[in-house]
Amino acid sequence: MSAAANDARTVTDRLTAMRRMLAEKFPAVEHKPGGILRTGLDGLDAVEGGVRRAALTEFSGTSGAGALFLQAMLRAVCRERCFAALVDAARTFEPDACPRSSLARLLVVLCGDAAQAVKAADLLLRDGNLALVMLDLQAVPPAQLRRIPANTWHRFQRLAEQTTAAFVVLTTEPIVEAAQVRITGAGGWTLAAQRRWRHELIAGTDWRIFPRRTAHAHPRAWESEHATA
Amino acid sequence: MFAVVLVPNFRLQAALRFREELRALPVALIDEHEPKPGLLEISDAAAAAGVIAGQTATQALARCPALAILPRSPAQEQSAQAALLEIAGTLSPEVEATADGFCTVNLRASRVHDWPALGARIVAGLAALSLGAQAGIASNPDLAFIAARHARPVLTVQTPHAFLANLALHELNPAPDLLAVLSDWGIHNLAQLTSLPRGELMDRLGPEAARLWERAGGKMERPLRLVRASEEFAEAFDFEREVETVEPLLFIVRRFLDQLAARLGNVHRVAGRMALTLMLANGGTHAHTFTVPSPTADVDVLFRIIHTHLDGLRLEHAATGVRLLITPAFAERQQFQLFESPLRDPNRFGETLGRLAALVGAENVGTAEVLDTHRPDSFRLCAPRFHEMNAAGADADSFDAGLPLRRWRPPVVAEVRVVRHRPEFIVSAKVRGIIRDALGPYRASGGWWESASWATEEWDIETEGGGLYRLARAGGEWRIEGSYDEPPAQERRPIVAMHPHGV
Repeated sequence: MSAAANDARTVTDRLTAMRRMLAEKFPAVEHKPGGILRTGLDGLDAVEGGVRRAALTEFSGTSGAGALFLQAMLRAVCRERCFAALVDAARTFEPDACPRSSLARLLVVLCGDAAQAVKAADLLLRDGNLALVMLDLQAVPPAQLRRIPANTWHRFQRLAEQTTAAFVVLTTEPIVEAAQVRITGAGGWTLAAQRRWRHELIAGTDWRIFPRRTAHAHPRAWESEHATA
Repeated sequence: MFAVVLVPNFRLQAALRFREELRALPVALIDEHEPKPGLLEISDAAAAAGVIAGQTATQALARCPALAILPRSPAQEQSAQAALLEIAGTLSPEVEATADGFCTVNLRASRVHDWPALGARIVAGLAALSLGAQAGIASNPDLAFIAARHARPVLTVQTPHAFLANLALHELNPAPDLLAVLSDWGIHNLAQLTSLPRGELMDRLGPEAARLWERAGGKMERPLRLVRASEEFAEAFDFEREVETVEPLLFIVRRFLDQLAARLGNVHRVAGRMALTLMLANGGTHAHTFTVPSPTADVDVLFRIIHTHLDGLRLEHAATGVRLLITPAFAERQQFQLFESPLRDPNRFGETLGRLAALVGAENVGTAEVLDTHRPDSFRLCAPRFHEMNAAGADADSFDAGLPLRRWRPPVVAEVRVVRHRPEFIVSAKVRGIIRDALGPYRASGGWWESASWATEEWDIETEGGGLYRLARAGGEWRIEGSYDEPPAQERRPIVAMHPHGV
């Protein structure tokens, strides 16, 4: 075994020991894995297994990618037979574009502005009955987004960790500093996309996921780490 | 055996149910609708201060300046009477509402024979509802009534003769002239009356004397006029002054719910629906009905539902009274399914919906239901029924085509240059530029049988900047109805000048 490999192993062992020590000393801040909501998107499920529950996830991408991601999440909600909420900050949700059966499992909240949407998302996160809460800020003017205090996202992160809900914020550009996971989607669609099946469009989109580096970044990592220990 | 449950000073007790602070004080009740109201009933403290029922308010206040005079409240009396009948109904289905604050129960079919314990249970049940009661148990209704009047608080008459022997004649409320004759004869108690021969007594004093003789012997039987307890549970309260803040309302509502939950518990029911009515100073009312998502008798849950509503309520007039009516339901029995994730706490979810409705408006919260029309943007938001859903309808696979639309509400008016029947250039507040490609037109119309007919021509367009939009023309006006995809802001090509050919 090379010296470099030995060094890496030593660093890993020390990090593991440090994490264990922190978890013992500060159990209140220990991240408890909340499970996974499988999305059905290969690019995401292969890496993370899906969208994390009890965590704040930010989706960034064009409005088309955001709408497709929303469709994918609706399918996931139906597949898992759970319930979701969509807080639409700019009132752009089009029910006619969604499968009818999924609409019955989706609570829609149409808001007047971003501030109202933030309050509505807060109420839904505290409720604790829903498996997925989505806050759609993609069509919100940048001026309104800038007025959302940065600590709002940290508060949402703490709230999400106390529930079993997956909390996803949809934006066009990354603004959620406290997001534990970032997802991007890009398609580069032309008008020809309007002649293709939607599931083909979803499958053809370049979905990428970027978990934040944290002590217990991912439930699987958390579990495997302890299994190794 | 029969039981009589008697609430002494019933009207006064009903008026004092939600005014605990007055119970130890001298209080009297009047009927405001009488032209010269006398005191109807008085509390023990008022009696001790020298106040007598029947006095005018002025006379009573002269004797006791600290006397609190309350108006009679028929609504509260009705609620108290309903509570009394509900408690009585827990003993036997054969209940007679003999009079206000007084009911008779036939216990002959009862399997319980520990009468004192039974009576104590009734009295305790009414005490929990802020009603002080006395219970008498005897072999016939009239005897049970006499026993109830003498009970402190429960009296069981096992040997009627011994019980009646020492009672004065006026306990049976005989006619005054009959009582006068018997007094002249030296008959002062029931034992003396029953020692007389019945036939000769009737020959001399008539059939009324015979009935009095039978009652005095504890042998009078009569059928009960049975009633059924109401299926609605109501409480009411009228404020002495107009109420402009929510705190007094919440205080009374909480007290209502405590009482109503106890009453529901007595009949093994839970609250399925609540109707709250506020009486307003201008004579109007504000009414709101709450459907309890998961029927319950949990006071905290019910209170939160009403609290959420009252928190967001703004009225133009102050409240003068409050009524709460609960429609009972059977408690749900739910078993969580293996593959289904129902709502864990439907009531909490209902409360959250209420808060969301207060925040964004009730019309902006719910599950979307697409209307049965081809008219664009036709849907409504309905109250979610998540807790009633089952596994059916869980399949969301569909064969929709294209990117989903993000609808702009309201649509953006645009100017469009059309060349050879195809849109070529667009100018609007949000989108402007050369239209690189277009699909359409997709024509739709409807409502031709109504005055509000509609017709539209839709195009899906791709601009030179890479944006995909839905364009619609109706009545000669072009509008952008929404977008399928928009490039990020920095990639949009600003077009400063108009198209060289103009629009």
